[in-house]
Amino acid sequence: MIDRTKQLIVVEDLKKSFGRLAVLRGVSQTVYEGEVVSIIGPSGSGKSTFLRCLNLLETPDAGRIVFDGQEITGRRLRVDEYRRQFGMVFQQFNVFPHLKVIDNVTLAPVLEKRLPKDAARAAAEELLRRVGLFEKRDEYPTRLSGGQKQRLAIVRALAMEPKVILFDEPTSALDPEMVKEVLDVIGDLARSGMTILIVTHEMGFARRVSDRVLFIDEGVIMEEGTPEELFENTKTARCREFLDKVLF
Amino acid sequence: MLETIAAIWQKYGYVYLQGMWGTVYIALVTVLCGTLLGTLLSVVRLSRFRLPQELIRLYVWVLRGTPALLQIYFFYFFVPKYLPFDLSERACIIMALVANAGAYVEEVIRAGIQAVDRGQGEAARSLGLTAGHTMTRVILPQAVKNILPALGNECIVMIKQASLASIFFIVEITSAFKTVQSATFITIPALMISGALYLLLTTVLSALMKLAERRLQRND
Repeated sequence: MIDRTKQLIVVEDLKKSFGRLAVLRGVSQTVYEGEVVSIIGPSGSGKSTFLRCLNLLETPDAGRIVFDGQEITGRRLRVDEYRRQFGMVFQQFNVFPHLKVIDNVTLAPVLEKRLPKDAARAAAEELLRRVGLFEKRDEYPTRLSGGQKQRLAIVRALAMEPKVILFDEPTSALDPEMVKEVLDVIGDLARSGMTILIVTHEMGFARRVSDRVLFIDEGVIMEEGTPEELFENTKTARCREFLDKVLF
Repeated sequence: MLETIAAIWQKYGYVYLQGMWGTVYIALVTVLCGTLLGTLLSVVRLSRFRLPQELIRLYVWVLRGTPALLQIYFFYFFVPKYLPFDLSERACIIMALVANAGAYVEEVIRAGIQAVDRGQGEAARSLGLTAGHTMTRVILPQAVKNILPALGNECIVMIKQASLASIFFIVEITSAFKTVQSATFITIPALMISGALYLLLTTVLSALMKLAERRLQRND
């Protein structure tokens, strides 16, 4: 599935501080089209900040990001258009509570891609069917469970037909019995060839679906490799220590 | 007492009714324009333009830190002099009330917008929504629920504040009392009628606000 000839995201020496706290201290990375990359590491290590820098929810202090051949840092850029190429799924779902399920999905395509309402609705229904939310299309999100909300958030992101989807701890706020239904959707997406970056604490999942795993600690990528390399032949002591502490 | 009140109402009821329409008119314009002004101010203040932000801070600081009565004097004596067209006394006073209301409403609306979960804005922006669409289609519709109760209180203040116009003998409820009192030399009963009319207006407004709040809560 991975197109090794096509570098989709190239990050060079990315740095970001919040006040005096240096959260990212020089991160470099290349993600190829169709690649599924898991990002693991302790809390506060900079994983989420790294993800948020990619779609410019955070503005990097230094470094370069090249997306699809176009440099996006260091000069004025049409941020809204750029962000449309990224889907983002948050830990807290962030579905829009004032809109019905279907309107959550059609809002951005209608407003920003100027899709006719009927077409947007048909596409949204199709997507909702895929994740088993078709019957809920006219409900408000408050009537959904956590797992359903997160599936809705995924569908909402997909409706913009992004080139990459960023998942920021998508199952961390879920009740345990709902984790699987969300991971299944992400797994399907991974197999469909979508480029995915996922910050996760679900090690078993990371191992199953990832092409590559990054271990971030103290604002740098301490170790990276295929799931086998990273989980079975861990090279750095820090990563070993971290993996020993988490449950699989 | 009741008989006196009834007698006054029978003879001067029309004065009070005129006064009530005057108050309703002043309050309605103040509420509408004040809310509009306050919304605009708060949106600009939440934007990332530094200079307008500071100007609005200054505006709110002055308008909230000085008495409304003083502001009315200012608009009454000062503003008409520098306008190229004639402005009625009532219009001057309404302008002062709107300016004052705008400052309070700005605070209410800004607080309501800031109370909306940050993740909502981030989710909208990450979908590629423009800053404008994020505000009008995602943040504001949710902020309304936070804003409405406090805005209701502000509207009640605006109705009562219209009484300041009586100092300039603009037709409204308190002026009606003054008129009746100076014609009859009966004070307390005349005053009670005015009070009752204010209560009527504020009660109706409270009920309407309650209704609106309940409708908004339906999809919670």
